[in-house]
Amino acid sequence: MGVSADDGASGRAGKAVDVEVNVVPFIDLMSCLVAFLLVTAVWSNLAQIRTTPRGPGPGGDQAPPALALSVLVTVDAHWVGLATGDRRRIPKVGGEYDWAGLENALGELRRTRGDRHDVEIAADDGVAYQAVISTMDTAIAEGLPDIGYLDPPLLSVRFGRP
Amino acid sequence: MPVHVPGPELYNSIPFRHLGGKGKQGKKGVFAALNLTAFVDMMTMLVVFLLMTFSASGEILMSQKGLDLPQAINKDQLKRAPIITITMDTINFNGEQMADPRNIASDTSLEWKIIELYERLKVEHAQFELAPIDEKQKESLRGLLILQADKNVDAKVLNRVMKTAYAAEYPNIMFAIAQRAGGH
Repeated sequence: MGVSADDGASGRAGKAVDVEVNVVPFIDLMSCLVAFLLVTAVWSNLAQIRTTPRGPGPGGDQAPPALALSVLVTVDAHWVGLATGDRRRIPKVGGEYDWAGLENALGELRRTRGDRHDVEIAADDGVAYQAVISTMDTAIAEGLPDIGYLDPPLLSVRFGRP
Repeated sequence: MPVHVPGPELYNSIPFRHLGGKGKQGKKGVFAALNLTAFVDMMTMLVVFLLMTFSASGEILMSQKGLDLPQAINKDQLKRAPIITITMDTINFNGEQMADPRNIASDTSLEWKIIELYERLKVEHAQFELAPIDEKQKESLRGLLILQADKNVDAKVLNRVMKTAYAAEYPNIMFAIAQRAGGH
């Protein structure tokens, strides 16, 4: 590896001006960096969805029930509602949860509550954990990042399920 | 002893050109410059890739058999905290087995607490309070717990674990997820 430059100004035409760049320290540095980064590499891309305490118990946030927004995941539908009375059932479509319907419902109900960004989520027995996480994910995407995970009987909204 | 005409002599009569000796062709240099350009290019690309995937927080969770984390798009950075792991076969706390989720799923009693887990969490909480950590840092870590569960775990098991954690003064739960690009 070399660097060549035309040294016409010096007046010594014909003299070789090739300079060998010593790449050994560079390769040493690169080798050390590669070894360090390979050893410390984290290949699994993990993250978290955080919940905050709600309802009774240590650190529980006693939100005014009139404004509480609750989501219940059951084996066949999502239930979304405000404690003021607006309650909706979003059934599964073709065996899958209707995520678009849940997004719309959460978006509409959130707009009726002004600046509040909290939501209570609960899941019935028999619901898969992935459905719970996807429900939380949908709530965050709809501007409700302050999630409280509760036991179904502790939700502020009582859904009149059969 | 009669004197003989000398015979062939190494490096004079036989030049050994390939050895670079004193033969006619022996003064030709044998130094061959190694072209390092491709090697340096590869190292540079490797370093750039590894730097892009570098995580300063290190590996907080270890993957294990029977644990397929749920996926989500919206997420926060994971913090270091005690870990409850729920697979289809076992419930662990920091690697110690606490209960069998199949027993909990089939349990019809009114018991809502997992006794072994509750006791272990209380011990952990007491140890945390005694630990020589700065009070400000302690405040930010108090009641913080990582829950990593298989995506097929029943919500009944999840609810029981959550209630146990709340009862043991661990109300701030971080649900571990695997990041994904988009869609449900």
